[in-house]
Amino acid sequence: MTHTRRTRAAIVAGQILLAAFVLLPFFWMFSVSLKPPSEPFAIPARLWPEDPTLSNYVTAFRPEFRTYFLNSLIVSAASVTICVTLALLAAYAFSRGALIALTALMGMVVLAQMFPHSAIIIPIYKMMRSADLLDTKIALIIAYVSVTLPVAIWMLRGFLVKLPVALEEAAAIDGAHPLRLFWEIVVPLARPGIIATAVYVLIVTWQEFLFALSFTSSKAERTLPVGLNDFIGQYGIRYGELMASSVMVSAPVIAVFFFLQRYFVAGLTAGAVKG
Amino acid sequence: MRKRRRETKMATVELERLNKRFGGFTALESLDLTIADGEFLVLLGPSGCGKSTTMRLVAGLEEPTGGEIRIGGRRVNDIPARDRDLAMVFQSYALYPHMTVGENIGYPLKVRGIAKAERQAQIRAAAEKVEMGHLLTRRPAELSGGQRQRVALARAIVRTPRLFLMDEPLSNLDAKLRTVMRAELKHLQRDLATTTIYVTHDQVEAMTLADRIVILNAAKIQQQGTPQEIYDRPANTFVASFIGSPPMNLIEGTVAEGRFHHPDGGVALASAPQGPAVLGVRPEDVTLAAPGEGDFTGKVYSSELLGDCTLLNVRVGDKLVAAKVGPQDGRDMDEPVGLRLAPGALHLFDGESGARIEGRA
Repeated sequence: MTHTRRTRAAIVAGQILLAAFVLLPFFWMFSVSLKPPSEPFAIPARLWPEDPTLSNYVTAFRPEFRTYFLNSLIVSAASVTICVTLALLAAYAFSRGALIALTALMGMVVLAQMFPHSAIIIPIYKMMRSADLLDTKIALIIAYVSVTLPVAIWMLRGFLVKLPVALEEAAAIDGAHPLRLFWEIVVPLARPGIIATAVYVLIVTWQEFLFALSFTSSKAERTLPVGLNDFIGQYGIRYGELMASSVMVSAPVIAVFFFLQRYFVAGLTAGAVKG
Repeated sequence: MRKRRRETKMATVELERLNKRFGGFTALESLDLTIADGEFLVLLGPSGCGKSTTMRLVAGLEEPTGGEIRIGGRRVNDIPARDRDLAMVFQSYALYPHMTVGENIGYPLKVRGIAKAERQAQIRAAAEKVEMGHLLTRRPAELSGGQRQRVALARAIVRTPRLFLMDEPLSNLDAKLRTVMRAELKHLQRDLATTTIYVTHDQVEAMTLADRIVILNAAKIQQQGTPQEIYDRPANTFVASFIGSPPMNLIEGTVAEGRFHHPDGGVALASAPQGPAVLGVRPEDVTLAAPGEGDFTGKVYSSELLGDCTLLNVRVGDKLVAAKVGPQDGRDMDEPVGLRLAPGALHLFDGESGARIEGRA
């Protein structure tokens, strides 16, 4: 008995260590955001500022930040809505259709998400340019939907294959038209999967930097991750304001994740266990 | 104006040369079956015999590979399930987990656009019929198995469909509840007088519920008839061994000179063709005799007192023969006994095809 107890203690200690390792950068970000300009590089370094101040937040919350925030919000919300809607319809077809062609297509969906962003950014850029969409939010939304869709389809499919087909058969016999059945039976039951997928798409799009930097050039169209770059100048980095902005950028995602994490974890494992 | 329930909706179901294949597997082969209006028909058979497939074809949940399905005289092959005007109770109940009991029961009405007030009245009436009126606001997850079963039933009877389909509706209930629900189902069906197709692998359910039983095995109908007919005159050894609890004893031997011969005994037969044959006798038609007397001899393998009777399993040759005897007639293991078969209660089957051989006393 003592043996298993000791093992457990070791595991817990390991977990605490790992958690500290993962959380330290976040803590450092928060700590630096509260330090006056003289402190970030003071030696000896301090975990917690000697003289905490909110002045970094005041400077960081400039009008541009508000524009970037709004842009991020629009792009992310649109990407989440479009991506989840498309993924739900696709995943339903993939989970219910018995066609061999669908299996092949599903394979291509997996393949599609194996290309790194840096490999596809130039073709996408060219397409956006010919479509005259550069420096618009639409360009970002289209790009984000296309890169998140494969994983979103996979996640939702994991949920949908677990829904008993008998429920849909019962609804069909009760007289429901396929669309009504989808809307009134499948969608409500897939809600945990829909939430998990939405959280995934939100996290990806909210923090995306490369596409945002490449496809937008004016301040009016930029999103938050690119906006953070403003504090990195040619002659120096304003760490205090940068970290204060980072905290404000992370906060919404952390909050969303905090409240919805149980769906998210379920979403990642749903496909793994069955289907 | 809608009339009260039970306006006449003719619902004869005719299946003609119905075929269903799944890839290389033949689930149903050239099935012909007519179900009369108001009849309670039970499809009985072991798993994989095609009984559920038959029901799903009638429901419109599967498409036949060949053949025709007619409901009320009209061909429905190309009509989707939602327009066939039937109700089904699933083995898993298939209650919508995100809806309350009331919403579950009312869903078929809601889909058909029935006004809310009328819907509420009908939901209540259906729920009362299955004694679930007090639980309308619960969700399926908060209900016991028996209660879920009742909700599924209420959802089926809330409308007045032409046809009820029930796919092993009692198989997920415990034995005691199953007996109760069986009786309730029978009453319900009689009151509603709606044509019903009921699928089960439980022969007791089939015997107690059916107006007519259709026994399926290996994608084909083995026999159809009233429970009494099937019990009294099984058409082949499969049916004989499937119906009855415990099932009929089947003893292999040969018929020669008006007698059934077996190494450990035999019985006289009035008239029977010569050759290999299988003798069938129900456990309740076997009585005990002193060792060496009676028609067969064997050794007791097990003796189980069931309360009102004792079930003896006697080893005759390499087979066990079951006998239902009086509660006082228990025997010790390995005790030699004689068995007497009631003349006039014997069944004879062809040794090769297993088909019933008629014309003996």
